[in-house]
Amino acid sequence: MTTKLSVLQCQVVEEEVSMTLADLCRACDADRELVLQLVEHGVIDPQGSAPQAWVFGGSSLRRTRVALRLLRDLELNLPGAALAVDLLDQIARLQRELQAATRER
Amino acid sequence: MKFKDYYQTLGVARDASADDIKHAYRRLARKYHPDLNKEPEAEGRFKELGEAYEVLKDPEKRAAYDDVGKRWQPGAEQPPPGWDSGYEFRGGEADMGGFGEHSDFFEALFGRARAQAQAQRRAPPRAQDHHAKVLIDLADAYRGAQRGIRLQVPTLDASGRVVLAERTLDVAIPAGVREGQHLRLAGQGAPGFDGAPPGDLYLEIAFRPHPRYRVDGRDVYLDLPVAPWEAALGADVDVPLPDGSVQLSVPAGSGQGRKLRLKGKGIPGRTPGDLYVVLQVAVPAPTSDAQREAWRALARAQPFNPRADMGAP
Repeated sequence: MTTKLSVLQCQVVEEEVSMTLADLCRACDADRELVLQLVEHGVIDPQGSAPQAWVFGGSSLRRTRVALRLLRDLELNLPGAALAVDLLDQIARLQRELQAATRER
Repeated sequence: MKFKDYYQTLGVARDASADDIKHAYRRLARKYHPDLNKEPEAEGRFKELGEAYEVLKDPEKRAAYDDVGKRWQPGAEQPPPGWDSGYEFRGGEADMGGFGEHSDFFEALFGRARAQAQAQRRAPPRAQDHHAKVLIDLADAYRGAQRGIRLQVPTLDASGRVVLAERTLDVAIPAGVREGQHLRLAGQGAPGFDGAPPGDLYLEIAFRPHPRYRVDGRDVYLDLPVAPWEAALGADVDVPLPDGSVQLSVPAGSGQGRKLRLKGKGIPGRTPGDLYVVLQVAVPAPTSDAQREAWRALARAQPFNPRADMGAP
């Protein structure tokens, strides 16, 4: 017997999704306190004045998850993880520019 | 099953102090962490490091492991009798998070404690969201596609052991999705308890490597071979796209490596990417006297020194 599955629709997080603090905590399986600290250290930058009104852009998901993995796996502290996330993004940007420049030649 | 030498994995002596073990782990973890090291073997290496550290950093687990190690015959494929019984663990420590599973060796020695720890964990008020990585074809990102996606989901079996169950989801991949982006599937994460809604599932997108196309964000690059006379005189040539083909006018006097932009023919979207065609001049080897004479005639008609700017004749 075969069961016919319905096709699941989805959203592209980086383009169509904005998240509340609670959404982000659940999506990353993280404590609210820890996410508040990531905001304080500038890893993620929500819009809105108070935590209950915060709105996170879709790209916060990736940065939060990378920061949490670095905190856990490398036993980093928050400023260290925040610095690493920024540097990783910078490396990715420079690699793209380098590739583009190499192709220019 | 093979004995796993966790000391060797971390590169420390069997009598290494807790501090030595911590330092060795941190140094190697920085080197092989998949967020920091994009080499394909890094992730496997990092999992081994994590497993070794999980055991050796915990005095109780380390003692149990050392005890098994002493009784294991050198070179033996078989563990000593009764090797995996009699160890008790508080549980709850064994959590490797996103990078996942333990080796069979670890599971056999510590697996039961881990499964119990998971079962005892209180059910959260709302179910967890799950994450997975999926590989799609570049053409799927051009056209959108319906794809069956197979996921390995950890579940508890009848005896309380964590096993991986396979689950297939039929997902509508939206056109325009790019590498590194995430798709959210509402309600497809962990099931909810006591009437709570289920969690969501997040899929991180990666493209299956393609022999022809290279992808950079929204832009796509294609090396296109052209004949010398097409490059010299100009020609209309067909360019294969991930979702069809398009005709391109190669301008006369094009050199090797010339980059031609097909605006908006990259990955589609609100701001569509561009497709860059990089010309590769292909030279046929002459096989007949007539062909060789034709090349000689060209050489006489068009004096040309490709090494002129090297200062060599």
